[in-house]
Amino acid sequence: MTFLSIPYISFGLGFLLLGALWAFKSANPRFAAIVAASGSVGSFLLSTIEVAKAGHRRLFDPWLSFFEADALDAVPMAFFAALTLIVIILAPKRDSGGKALAGILLLAAATQTTYAAADLAVLATGWWLTSLPFVMRMFGEARSQKLAQGFLIASSIALTAAIAVLHHIEIDEISHASNLAFGLIILAVVLRKGLFPLHGWMISSFEHGPLLPLALLFNGHLGALLIARSETTALTLSERHVLEFLSMAALVTALMTSLRGFAEKKPRRMLGLLCLSQASFILAGIATASAEGITGALVHWLVVAAASTGLIAIVRVLEVRVSGSADPTAHLGLATKAPRLATFFLVCGFALIGLPGTLGYCAEDLIFHGALENHPWIGIALPIATAFNAINLLRIFNILFLGVLPKHVIDIPDALPRERWPLTLIVVFLIAGGIFPSQILRWRENAAHEIEAGLGLEQKEHHGH
Amino acid sequence: MSPENLSFLLLAIPGITFTALSLIWLLGGRVTEHAMSRLTKGVYATLTLIVGIIFWKMWQSDLHSVRVSVGDHWFKVAHYEFPLTILLDRLSLPIVGITVILAGVVGSFSVRYLHRDPGFFRFFLLLHLFTFGALLVFMADSLDVLLGGWEIVGITSVLLIGFFQYRPDPVKNALRVFATYRVADLFMLMGVFLAHHWFKTASWNGMFSGEWPGHVNNLNGNAATIVAVMLVFAASGKSAQGPFCGWLARAMEGPTPSSAIFYGAISVHAGAYLLLRIEPLIHSSWIATSLVIFIGSTTAFLGTLVHRTCADAKTSLAYAAQTQLGLIFVEIGLGWTTFAIIHLISHAVLRTLQFLRSPSMLRDYNRVHSAAGGQIDPTGEHYESFLPKKIQLWLYRAALGRGFYDPIVDRFIVAPVVGLARLLGIFEFRGGKS
Repeated sequence: MTFLSIPYISFGLGFLLLGALWAFKSANPRFAAIVAASGSVGSFLLSTIEVAKAGHRRLFDPWLSFFEADALDAVPMAFFAALTLIVIILAPKRDSGGKALAGILLLAAATQTTYAAADLAVLATGWWLTSLPFVMRMFGEARSQKLAQGFLIASSIALTAAIAVLHHIEIDEISHASNLAFGLIILAVVLRKGLFPLHGWMISSFEHGPLLPLALLFNGHLGALLIARSETTALTLSERHVLEFLSMAALVTALMTSLRGFAEKKPRRMLGLLCLSQASFILAGIATASAEGITGALVHWLVVAAASTGLIAIVRVLEVRVSGSADPTAHLGLATKAPRLATFFLVCGFALIGLPGTLGYCAEDLIFHGALENHPWIGIALPIATAFNAINLLRIFNILFLGVLPKHVIDIPDALPRERWPLTLIVVFLIAGGIFPSQILRWRENAAHEIEAGLGLEQKEHHGH
Repeated sequence: MSPENLSFLLLAIPGITFTALSLIWLLGGRVTEHAMSRLTKGVYATLTLIVGIIFWKMWQSDLHSVRVSVGDHWFKVAHYEFPLTILLDRLSLPIVGITVILAGVVGSFSVRYLHRDPGFFRFFLLLHLFTFGALLVFMADSLDVLLGGWEIVGITSVLLIGFFQYRPDPVKNALRVFATYRVADLFMLMGVFLAHHWFKTASWNGMFSGEWPGHVNNLNGNAATIVAVMLVFAASGKSAQGPFCGWLARAMEGPTPSSAIFYGAISVHAGAYLLLRIEPLIHSSWIATSLVIFIGSTTAFLGTLVHRTCADAKTSLAYAAQTQLGLIFVEIGLGWTTFAIIHLISHAVLRTLQFLRSPSMLRDYNRVHSAAGGQIDPTGEHYESFLPKKIQLWLYRAALGRGFYDPIVDRFIVAPVVGLARLLGIFEFRGGKS
């Protein structure tokens, strides 16, 4: 067992949990939350650097040895911590009460627990805890959120049942799981990710739920993490067949939700369908069983997380500005008053759908190429979903930003400095990553190698040569 | 400076200009009209000068092509790598030259045309992005790089169609054009991926041997035909030909200078450029060759018919441009390469002038009419007057309905897709309030 030199993971989680308490009690909760989230960003970033320096080996936390950081989870942990900080900064005043910010920090702590889990019991605990802030109604009245809570809890139950069937809790031993246990794990993923035909709860949450916490819940991509983890553990043939089913479900979700967007007029629902469709590419890519597809999927994970957080945050700050139009179907024409927010929205959207010049293009290019090698139908179907999503993105943009400004929107501010800097950071990441993608690919290539080794792809290549 | 370095600079200047201006604005900075005007004129003067120097140096050293590799590759994963190579040869250099000159002319014209317009900054920002995208298309040494520029040109085109965002029609038409682009770009994407999948290459060097115009096709078999057909459809989408012929008239909602540069000068010719570039691949398959000729000739016929019944100047010019592009497609299909290039460049120049003068068309007509002593002949005698009256009437109705393109698309494509999308709603939950 090799340990981190300093208990960064304990520190990171400690910052989040203590921050939640401080924000809940504080008179200035945003300040408390920003301090806590910044502390967690620093801690997780340092742990990522140490993992990279150690040759991407698995390093355990010296204080809490059931937490670890490795090639697969170190980058997402640092990235998710940064997203949490961005969400807290971007949250409009009405969403930044003590309880709400404490809820966001708790959600972040639960997600990071799942990422850092060294065994399945801890992973399942984190999985359960992510639904806690929603069940405790920390983001306001949750009357219409019972459906989402039900699905989150059902997913947690499925994962817990899988562990019960397994009788042991080492992540490395997923490969010894019975078909029933592995099936339950897949069910947990399907429920959690909102894969077709169980995607309705996610769309409903986007329509009615608290958007900013939902951005964090959605962008944890815990389902993708669990599948990536299981792929690193030399799965049996029958389990790989189950994974094939999962990749098919992801593909169908990507296609169906992109198509479904054409019948929608409400920006929130359209945004939900768009994000869900593009996020399904991650699972489809991981399941391609090719080096390109897996690397593309792991990079796409970062793209979806950054871009969809940007999009969701912009929609929320606009809703708050344009009171009375929480879910407009007519054109709002806000580009006249908020051209910068319109630009941020467009760039985030273009990155999400993989426009050249953004990191999304490189990620999708790799996924498509990877898919064509082993699963030609995925390689053909995903570009179709991207094309549909692109059209839906422009439809959302048109509704929010183009057209005649309604009379009740007399004067709204453009992006405030507090909003401008985090959004610029997201945009710079997406564009700089698109212009110089090699660096970002390097962050994820070790994780991809681990998955490839688990799937035996490296050996295949070796024999091929 | 070597032609290689100059080529790289040619591509980098508009890209850097766009990025710098965007960042300044996003972070709260302001660029005055005067500064933007100076900057734009400076950029296009520099680009024109660079093209001139490259041309001179290539001519002096008897170089037929300049190939620049930006690093070994853009990114690489396992055995798949994305080479970032640009190429200037006897096909791309004239088109690059005409691109920077016409974009400069349009930029200069727009300084006065859009004076005090609220979208002044946005227009020039998009003009620089468009120039970068167009240069990327014409200087690409592979389909992968070309695709990057292709998409950038498409997006800027759509954003400029919706330039007058406070009016419903430009917004609606921009969306329709974008949807058409996306469908056409699907063919491009599939062509590129299938080329990689079957032939392990999408670079001009891998697909063809030798230098343009004497290059020879390296791809064979049914797979090559499929790739060729995909690329022909992609080119048709960009040049508003065949099944994608309906968008060009809608694109006229944008400001006149953008119509000139996109739909008169550069953007619509990108499809023809692609066909010229992959000409040996097309001619290796009778299916692809016939398709190019069929698409070009039918669109030219429809375009010339509709053009005669259009009531406004810009739409009329759009259909006239579509007709000429159809003829260029036919010329490429028939293998008349040199003629097609001359046609392409002269058409781009003439159409830019016509678009830029279109707001003053009546004044121009009156001036010419007066100069001719009021003796300009009415242009009423056309070949259709030789047809029977019944057919004339039928053609007139078809022309007035613009070939009934939009109703056909709405009924047989849009309606079934939206119907299916609605049907999928059975898997979702509604109700409840936040």
